[in-house]
Amino acid sequence: MINMKIDSTKKHNRNDIIFIVALLLIATFGALYLFVFRDGGNTVKVTVDGKTYGVYSLNENITEDIHTGNGNLNRLVIRDGKAYMETATCPDGICVSHKPIFRDGESIVCLPNKVVVTVTTTDTDSPDVVI
Amino acid sequence: MKQRFLSIALALCLFVCGGACSSQEKTKYNTYSMDYFDTVITITGYEKSQGDFDKQSKEILDMFEDYHRLYSIYHRFDGLNNMCTVNQLTDGVHPTVKVDKAIIDMLLFAKKMHTVTNGKLNVAMGSVLSLWHDYRTVGKDNPQNASLPPMDKLQEAAKHTDISKMVIDEENSTVTLTDPLMKLDVGAIAKGYAVEQVALALEKKGVTGYVLNVGGNVRTVGSKPDGSDWSVGIENPDGSDYIAYLNVSDMSVVTSGSYQRYYYVDGKPYHHIIQPETLMPAQNGYLSVSVVCKDSGMGDALSTALFCLSKQDGLALINSIAGAEAMWVAEDGTKSYSSGWNKYVKK
Repeated sequence: MINMKIDSTKKHNRNDIIFIVALLLIATFGALYLFVFRDGGNTVKVTVDGKTYGVYSLNENITEDIHTGNGNLNRLVIRDGKAYMETATCPDGICVSHKPIFRDGESIVCLPNKVVVTVTTTDTDSPDVVI
Repeated sequence: MKQRFLSIALALCLFVCGGACSSQEKTKYNTYSMDYFDTVITITGYEKSQGDFDKQSKEILDMFEDYHRLYSIYHRFDGLNNMCTVNQLTDGVHPTVKVDKAIIDMLLFAKKMHTVTNGKLNVAMGSVLSLWHDYRTVGKDNPQNASLPPMDKLQEAAKHTDISKMVIDEENSTVTLTDPLMKLDVGAIAKGYAVEQVALALEKKGVTGYVLNVGGNVRTVGSKPDGSDWSVGIENPDGSDYIAYLNVSDMSVVTSGSYQRYYYVDGKPYHHIIQPETLMPAQNGYLSVSVVCKDSGMGDALSTALFCLSKQDGLALINSIAGAEAMWVAEDGTKSYSSGWNKYVKK
């Protein structure tokens, strides 16, 4: 009985090391994936009152003034792969205090100005200018 | 073993971070204005700070304001002789009007484009186009009462569209319309011409990394800071997708389409590009025509002219102009291209 107990502890120790190394490997490759492979396709889509206003690459530093009519303005900033609302004319300022978004599906909503900024993953990068 | 592994992982992390952090020093900025040329002006530019961009874009918009005031055929401005003044009548005749050099140069360019396009682009069509403009404005404001301009009125107006009656005195910087019933409409050329002049002024200053988009007239100034081309998406009229995706630098892309400005009469759409021969909206089976060339004014004139030409005649015209390429989109969505269009298509 005693021998078996010692045996299993020993086994546990070896498994622990394998487990930790595996975790490290996954974490490293996960980080590599996030840093290297995930860019190129990530964009933010801006809609105003349900209509597409513009699609912007997250891989570029961009400042975009979103004019929502009646003199209302939301300034979207994309910096270092993250998008946030720098300023807005809305009364509550909830969108401005929202943390920067970058993960697929995350969004910032400005209800008063009807602006929705959503992170999406697209295959083709968005053009610089549209006619 | 473990240490070696850790150091490799660390080195990799540093490498990746270093690459990501040092890649960009200029930021891409955008701004809009709806104050000039009755359209939206979009300015996109790469600058180090918002302040730099604001300063540059203000300078650009100031230039557009000057051209807008000079070339406007609808608005008068105190103490300024503009296209309205050229069109005005005093005691039943058009007086000789002293105008800014920017008007003389634009009208000379318009005359040249009249020759190049074999009369398809004619700024002397003002009396015909103003009939269409008036009926379209009424029809849009009040769709129940929308109607077409009567053909006899159009034909009467068409008798006064001879561009040789536009007399330009370069030395004294004056314009005289010697036919009292003639009017100039520079709508198909002034916007593109102004965009080109602003772009040339920027190039002269050494500015690069900017794109101007003035109601469908796109002009790129230089390339992007990393030396790559700008990508220009030509949108499907229904907004669903891009019908073309181009890569250009120091070039213009202009699209003329029946979907840009139109009104309905008895449920049928009538667009704004008028065929000089029929005096009716051009019916050559196109949804849109896009032109890529260096000069935005040329692109503006060519896209309008191509819209009024058959495919065969249009192809002959575009092939006669060095460095110009075109894409035709037929009403059923079928696309056709001039021979060199493909070199601008994003690979």
